Amino acid sequence: MITALAWRNIWRQPIRTALSMLGMALTSALLVFMLSFQFGSYDIMKSSVLRISQGFGQFQAKGYKADPETAKTIKNAPALRADLAKIPGVTASSSRSVAFVLLANGERSFAAAVVGVDMKDDAKISKLSSMVKQGRPLNATDTNAIVLGEGLARNLRLKLGDTVTMLGSGLDGSVAADALKLVGIFKSGVPELDRQVAHVPLARFDEAFGMNGQVNIVAITGNRLNDIVNDGRKLNALADKYGLAYLDWGALAPGIKQAITLDMSTAFIMYLTLVVVVVFIILNTLYMSVLERTHEFGILLAIGMKPAQIGKMVWAEMIFLSLVGNGIGILLGIAITLYFQKYGIVFKGMDAIYAQWGLPARFYPMLSTFSTFIGPSAIVISIVVLGVIPYRRVLGLEPVEAMSS
Amino acid sequence: MQPIVSCRGLTKTYGKGALSVQALREVDLEILPGDFATLAGPSGSGKTTLLNMIGALDKPTTGEVAIDGQALQSLNATALSDLRLHKIGFVFQSLNLIPVLSAQENIEFVLELQGRPSKERAERAREALKNVGLEGMEHRRPAALSGGQQQRVAVARALISNPAIVLADEPTANLDSKTALELISLMYRLNQENGTTFVIGTHDPRVMEHTKRHIELLDGKIANDTRR
Repeated sequence: MITALAWRNIWRQPIRTALSMLGMALTSALLVFMLSFQFGSYDIMKSSVLRISQGFGQFQAKGYKADPETAKTIKNAPALRADLAKIPGVTASSSRSVAFVLLANGERSFAAAVVGVDMKDDAKISKLSSMVKQGRPLNATDTNAIVLGEGLARNLRLKLGDTVTMLGSGLDGSVAADALKLVGIFKSGVPELDRQVAHVPLARFDEAFGMNGQVNIVAITGNRLNDIVNDGRKLNALADKYGLAYLDWGALAPGIKQAITLDMSTAFIMYLTLVVVVVFIILNTLYMSVLERTHEFGILLAIGMKPAQIGKMVWAEMIFLSLVGNGIGILLGIAITLYFQKYGIVFKGMDAIYAQWGLPARFYPMLSTFSTFIGPSAIVISIVVLGVIPYRRVLGLEPVEAMSS
Repeated sequence: MQPIVSCRGLTKTYGKGALSVQALREVDLEILPGDFATLAGPSGSGKTTLLNMIGALDKPTTGEVAIDGQALQSLNATALSDLRLHKIGFVFQSLNLIPVLSAQENIEFVLELQGRPSKERAERAREALKNVGLEGMEHRRPAALSGGQQQRVAVARALISNPAIVLADEPTANLDSKTALELISLMYRLNQENGTTFVIGTHDPRVMEHTKRHIELLDGKIANDTRR
């Protein structure tokens, strides 16, 4: 009956209770939507950047990330890729080899990273081929073709059809030299890629650098970045099995990770402010309702209710109020988020700017258990914890003093 | 016969120094089982203060109070709550009941605090309401009851745990003559039938007419204590 009493007590002042609940519900709904939108935006940013070239994850020889020598290879890439195909979140994998070479056109030469790619698989991972602005991307039948970043082509003063001379060091230390025909120029919007990267067919790379089927990178992708993130444990286990290192999105795009961390820190302060303001407004209302009932608490003490029981009843009222208010808020937040998750949000006039960064014009919130419950939970927990204030006041009540109020 | 209430050298002083007010002065009093007593006196004579002391709601400045042989001085707040729950019933002047509970629930609430099972609670509460003439009003909330009916519910609640004593502070103050008389008659009947001990703080002559013992307070002292 104490529970029933607590529930009925919160409805003594229905308008006040409804307003308190509405305040909590709107704040909770706002938190659910804002957090989902923030995570959705991060996901789009990460996915867009990683899809340009790197993939959602990469396997490399240990130490390759810190010191990317061509000699640090994956010796049995086909077996690794066969195992990767068994992991549900991984929809495609691709072998790549990388060498740092000198590219020359006549008397002009520039250092570049040449990436050997198998276009049959790599097109599923990298969007670079869709970013070819002049000519065409590599295709599976190419033998001596090369595609360059726009900056690199400009620096070398190359045009489509020109021959590019490549000079590097093979796996066994011998000179790796080749002459390749420029078939396409890409513009990714990422300066490092556009100024330094060239793509050649993997088979040609293998031959020129004497790789004997070994590769430097196995890149993977999935339908969603989160699928790959969720498979992290399996992917790391696979890396251990082959004596390799697995690089997740954070290791592949540390700049994005830092930017997200910074943005999250700023947003956290904003969310915290919102929660603190709402919690103290609600707490003030609840404390008022406790003060108003001091006489009644005196009667309850007189008939034998213990101070701690009255305190618990008041605490239960706060829990009920916050659970109902935040429950409504969660449902409202889910509904709003799901709507925009389906239809997206367009920031008019920003599409050209976003396109430069490979980002889409339409952003979608991403509802998750975390984004749904973290904000409302913070409100509920704060109210429950701060409920100790009215609880302690009730504990200190003397029956006569209370009844005379 | 062992007294239900025993007060020895009871004093109560409010405030300190020159502003202090002595509400009770060296009061010695014994209430015996089956007493139906009024505690009368003008406003400020110390009636409510003495009832509060007897009801374990307040502590004396000096002196001792014992209920059913148990001294109150050494008890903490929780133990005093327990004592009130099991041994004392209260009827106050007004605003006695919990507004969000029905008449029956108000009575059941005491039994729930005592840990009685649900079925027993409901049966006893219905019986108690019937006993005070409120059969059929079990599900009405206090706001839907008249002042007299509310006081009857308060009496039923006070009696539901078979307490050693029922203390009523000005129970008829807000009632019209007819309703007041009905309430006093009810309490008197319960005293006669069940032997329940009542101490009623009042300055209402209609109440005093019905009681078997009349204790008169004046300036914090017992000026007169007569039995009829």
